[in-house]
Amino acid sequence: MDFWSEIFMALRRNKLRTILTGFAISWGIFMLIILLSVGNGLKNGVNTNFADRAKNTYTIWSSETELPYKGHKANRWITLTDKDIEYLENHLYHVDEVSPVFSKGGTLIFEDKSKSVQVEGVKPIYKNIEGIKIKEGRFVNENDMKTKAKVVVIDKITAELIREKINSDKEMENPVKVRKTKRYKKNDVSILGQLVMINGINYTIVGVFEGQMWGSMGQCYAPYSTMQQIYNVNNKYYQLSFTTKGLVTKEDNENFRKELKRNLALLHEFSPDDQRGVWIDSSMLNALETNKIFNTINVFIWVIGIAMLISGVVGVTNIMRITVKERTFEIGIRKALGAKPRSILMSIVMEALIITTVFGYVGMFIGVGLMEIANKVLESVNAGKGPNDVAVFMNLSVDIKIVLMATIVLIISGVIAGIAPAWKAVNVKPIEAMNNRS
Amino acid sequence: MIKLEGINKTYFGAQPLHVLKGIDLNVEEGELVSIMGASGSGKSTLLNILGILDNYDEGNYYLAGKLVKNLTENQAAEFRNRFIGFIFQSFNLIPFKTAVENVALPLFYQGVSRKKRNQMALEFLDRFGLKGWADHYPNELSGGQKQRVSIARALVTSPKIILADEPTGALDSKTSIEVMRILREVNASGITMIIVTHERGIANLTNKIVHLKDGVIENIEENNVKSVDFERDIK
Ligand SMILES: Nc1ncnc2c1ncn2[C@@H]1O[C@H](COP(=O)(O)OP(=O)(O)O)[C@@H](O)[C@H]1O
Ligand SMILES: [Mg+2]
Repeated sequence: MDFWSEIFMALRRNKLRTILTGFAISWGIFMLIILLSVGNGLKNGVNTNFADRAKNTYTIWSSETELPYKGHKANRWITLTDKDIEYLENHLYHVDEVSPVFSKGGTLIFEDKSKSVQVEGVKPIYKNIEGIKIKEGRFVNENDMKTKAKVVVIDKITAELIREKINSDKEMENPVKVRKTKRYKKNDVSILGQLVMINGINYTIVGVFEGQMWGSMGQCYAPYSTMQQIYNVNNKYYQLSFTTKGLVTKEDNENFRKELKRNLALLHEFSPDDQRGVWIDSSMLNALETNKIFNTINVFIWVIGIAMLISGVVGVTNIMRITVKERTFEIGIRKALGAKPRSILMSIVMEALIITTVFGYVGMFIGVGLMEIANKVLESVNAGKGPNDVAVFMNLSVDIKIVLMATIVLIISGVIAGIAPAWKAVNVKPIEAMNNRS
Repeated sequence: MIKLEGINKTYFGAQPLHVLKGIDLNVEEGELVSIMGASGSGKSTLLNILGILDNYDEGNYYLAGKLVKNLTENQAAEFRNRFIGFIFQSFNLIPFKTAVENVALPLFYQGVSRKKRNQMALEFLDRFGLKGWADHYPNELSGGQKQRVSIARALVTSPKIILADEPTGALDSKTSIEVMRILREVNASGITMIIVTHERGIANLTNKIVHLKDGVIENIEENNVKSVDFERDIK
């Protein structure tokens, strides 16, 4: 008991030294937490941006050949047809469901508002293939396909634009009432059933989908049959997308891609060695590429983290050395008054232990606290973002076990770092220690 | 109480310096002895050996009949704690401890309870007129006050011997007389006292003067201190 009060008194009376030492420890732990959580936030952010693409889907794009083959000249357009769909669905075991995609750029107009959009004519199954999440209304259905209905499913941001327009119209009609009752909140107004004009054709909005677009263009989906009729493309397809089954490993996917290419080459009579002809894109193989990025981020975080921990250990070691040196005079006096080496050593080590522990945890609390605040801020920032924006950071987090481990490593290294110089100082002849007046 | 036989001490620095060249000395219990000599003659070295703050190369040192040689750190600590009280020219108080905490510190190493040792420390401070300064830090005290604190610290464990290295070296003459009067009083209570000084005036206030020159004892002078000497003999 007396021993502890001696130590606490020494810590209290040497505030500057205590705080400087403590600050170094707190700072180290704090920085480690910030680094780890920023790294994790980056990872989570990137992860979310890719989450929608996690399904294993394939896309085939038609293209020009590069090589002459079997009497065909080079630079021949390969066109995909219903035959290809039939072939994919019936002859390739791994192909699940196929949808052709017809893409057309254009301008969407709603009253006096307009926006560039990409319209994709697709089959209902495309919703599953692309993992599209419906926010309001519905996706393109079989009935639309049959009747070639002029309906469209639009993205969240474009929907917002239309909603705002409707709201402001209503406010113009009856400004007082609206302001008083605040009846028309953003999401109250349904835009389903509204008419929009895309490239001169009127479509009825039947759904709004959730989704992250890259770039500022809007994205719309319409029935494939409707687009086919409007743009007169008959059964020629430029893009086919399908889901797969039974492809688990990277190797599976690479083999399947080769097989697919070989089959299509056979079907369309282009060289199997042709780099072009058709493009085949695999979301899983893309994801594996993305994983490489994650791994790089991970390695980066760990390398910096460990470097920081090492520098923390070195810092603590130095502080302990300086502390002991600074205390040599005091140690000399204590020895002259009859202190035994063990008692001095214990008090130095205990002081180091208390400082590193207390300030280590202070750093931990500040770091985790700041992280939580940053999370709150990020949450609101990300919430304000539309699907066009990419959340770079999301859900900062840190494995508390790792932080605890790092703190413990610092504490132990601080203590060990203190023991060696303290042991040396303690065993110096008292007169030498006392002459060592700093 | 103290018996030295052929003590030799060499400092092995860049150049070996043979400081003590065979010191033989006896100090009986209750004596008041001064060690006098020019600066660099080896007085402090000798005193540090007596206080087991430093070791010696050759000879034998008996303290209270026990041979002080090759002691373990713990044995040396025991001796310093129970047997010896130190007074230094530069006081050597711990700066971040108050007067009363400084005085109580040796008792901490004896395992005396906090309450008891603070009470004892206060009694000793009171004895030297420092009760009102108990909670002051060393840097808030004058030189004379600091030296009285360090005397209190040396006495608080009731040691057998007080070793004082130039106890008045950092003090003006008036304060020096005051400190010497206290030390004589302490000696009168039966504690053996050895004072190192290079001032004749201080040595004259002790009962036996050991003259040290170039590492050997030149002569030992018996000195009869009359109370009238007291004020006059200090410069
Ligand atoms: N730790 C040491 N290392 C080397 N030389 C020392 C050391 N301490 C004292 N000396 C030298 O030993 C000689 C005697 O020193 P000291 O005993 O302090 O003399 P005094 O106290 O009589 O002035 C001096 O020349 C001094 O420089
Ligand atoms: Mg000296």
